[in-house]
Amino acid sequence: MPKVYIDDDVFEFEGRPKILEFCLQHGIELPYFCYHPALSIPANCRQCLVEVGQLVLNRETGQPELDAEGKVVVRFFPKLMPSCATEITDGMVVRTHRSSALVRRAQRENLEFILLNHPLDCPICDQAGECPLQELTYKFGPDSSRFEFVKVHKPKRIPLGPRVVLDAERCINCTRCVRFTEEISRSRQLTIIQRGDKNYPFTAPGMSFDDPYSMNTIDICPVGALTSADFRFRARAWEMASTPSICTGCARGCSIYIWTRHNRVERFTPRHNPLVNDYWMCDEGRLSYRRLNENRLDGPHVREFEGLRAASWEESLRRAAHLLRSAPPEQIAVLASASLSLEDLYVIRRLAFEVLGTPHLDFLRHEDPSFEDAFLRLRDRTPNRTGCELVGISPGPDGLPVQQWPQALRDGRLRLVLVFGDDPLGTGAWPVPEAGEWIVASSHWTETASRAQVLLALCTHAEATGCFVNQQGVLQRVRPAKASKGMDRTLVPEMGKSRLDHHATPFDRWWGHEHYFDCRPGWELAQGLMRELGSPVDYTGPEAVFAELAQAIPALRGLSYAAIGLQGVRLDLHPQPVA
Amino acid sequence: MEPEYAFTAEELARIAEIRRRYPTARAALMPVLWMAQEKFGWLSREVIELVAQTLSLNPAEVYGVATFYTMYHTQACGRYVLDLCTCLSCQVLGAEDLLRHLEERLGVRDGQTTPDGLFTVRHTECLGACGSGPVLMINNRRYVHRLSQERLDQLIEELRQGRMPEFASIPLPERPWEQEASSDS
Repeated sequence: MPKVYIDDDVFEFEGRPKILEFCLQHGIELPYFCYHPALSIPANCRQCLVEVGQLVLNRETGQPELDAEGKVVVRFFPKLMPSCATEITDGMVVRTHRSSALVRRAQRENLEFILLNHPLDCPICDQAGECPLQELTYKFGPDSSRFEFVKVHKPKRIPLGPRVVLDAERCINCTRCVRFTEEISRSRQLTIIQRGDKNYPFTAPGMSFDDPYSMNTIDICPVGALTSADFRFRARAWEMASTPSICTGCARGCSIYIWTRHNRVERFTPRHNPLVNDYWMCDEGRLSYRRLNENRLDGPHVREFEGLRAASWEESLRRAAHLLRSAPPEQIAVLASASLSLEDLYVIRRLAFEVLGTPHLDFLRHEDPSFEDAFLRLRDRTPNRTGCELVGISPGPDGLPVQQWPQALRDGRLRLVLVFGDDPLGTGAWPVPEAGEWIVASSHWTETASRAQVLLALCTHAEATGCFVNQQGVLQRVRPAKASKGMDRTLVPEMGKSRLDHHATPFDRWWGHEHYFDCRPGWELAQGLMRELGSPVDYTGPEAVFAELAQAIPALRGLSYAAIGLQGVRLDLHPQPVA
Repeated sequence: MEPEYAFTAEELARIAEIRRRYPTARAALMPVLWMAQEKFGWLSREVIELVAQTLSLNPAEVYGVATFYTMYHTQACGRYVLDLCTCLSCQVLGAEDLLRHLEERLGVRDGQTTPDGLFTVRHTECLGACGSGPVLMINNRRYVHRLSQERLDQLIEELRQGRMPEFASIPLPERPWEQEASSDS
């Protein structure tokens, strides 16, 4: 096996890895700006320079030659090499900043160069706190600059497109954004214009950087040059908590982090997941976080004198159960939603088939062909349609499919609709019917919610734990990123916690607690209805529901929350029966 | 507007000929940009888009190249672009004063164009004619050597009358030390 000597260690390697990638994989830190694992390697930032040499082998014996002191002789390249672009060869000797004063000096002075015209406005920069330039300067940079002249000034606060704002002075011209538009999104909307100390990334004149994936450049920008028009100046990175989750904007289900501050969702950022979205997500998905804060339903409501009034959970569940008991089972329809988790869907299915005894169970397909593209976006705008099919959200024997329900409501074959998490009236899926009564579990104030006899407040995916299966059959789990009313963020397992969550008290000026909504996950609401209807079930939590699911559904056999992990697992959706 | 920005069939044939000399469209970009600038005066947004379309490149890419080189004009410029060298040799010979003289005479600042659209004044880096400085270049092409304020005034008058100065061949200065060295041997 070929060997490489890095500092004082020997590593064996296979193939033709680059020094930087190899070091990062083996936990050896090297500083870099322009390198990105998903992009080509331009080697233009010069921050990852290392000393590279080759062992001198004796021609006769093939053994390394030794000098007079008995040390191996190394023939070094005359200059430092960019480790991101240098391939490892057998017998290569690499000296990083751990063992080479020259490399340390190169790193320090390169940073001094990079910072020459940098405005050093970290206190007002959105990138501060998650800025590689800031971090690497702290670790490897000089303690001060010798440059005492007027800095070069460049355009600031330029809207490159509708969602990305450029500050050219902060740019270090690593070209990550340009390479992203060339290699990943392929819109080729960005280029580096001008030259020398005046250059910065920009669009062609009169063009807008309106790439549907443009905001990924904000993530990969290693400085604060590209910032989000939406998120600018809204929160500091260190005040927010991040929780791994998924985007529910379409059936791709991109892995994301949900960032919250004072329990309010502030942004989504993509989370690396090679099974689903690699490092990227679309702008529309990224901005869909707003839905988690806006127009939210807070607490259950019941209808009284033609209006909805807030009610207790006990009262509303009792009213709902009373309504459900008063209608014959074949006149009740249960509408689940492909935006609910597997756990929710499973308990809803049990409620419909086992307790209510109705055959009318279905979900709505929300398709938007204009949303689909060749990269990540899919026409199916629901995150868990595959999950609905997996759990069996479909009409039982003699059950009506969902397309026939509006007609059935009109002619009296259906009287009562129990809606979980969908909005058939507001999304235009159904005409607004004159007849029928509605029990609705909804996370938002929707058209359907406003017609309910009993309205139950449902969690969004950001407040619950549950599993989603995307169109490719990858099962991922979401974790609660936002606490519901009555919860303490620090006590919710798996929830990301920020310093504010841990240490702020109601006596602090920066205390905020207005973004808590009184809502419950779908499985818990379905279980509550089952109890009221006299069929006590007692799941201790979503994990217990999933344990039962894993028994019941062949594709999930043997899975557990621990096995799903952060990355998820690709399911075999059509398992062969064991012979 | 559309027909104003187009290449003629003859020009397209020339572009195709240029294109054949290079392995990629990107490599053929510079001569084509040059052609476009000769034709349209400067590389406006429409011209950039025309070049990009002609070579099947992206406008951003074309714009990046156009802004990289100072001899491509991405701003509207005058009939005569005067590039005055202010690099070391010319500077020592008074180029800075000449630049100020030019600015005052034409009533514009460095980098600006006169209101009548006739002159653009720019300072530039070394034009490679240090032996005959101070030097000025007209429209990326014609050099005017050994400038003085009088020569500049005269030049501006000539240009106003539409007369481009003649090409002047500047012989290399004599190098007596070389002759001495050769006579020694």
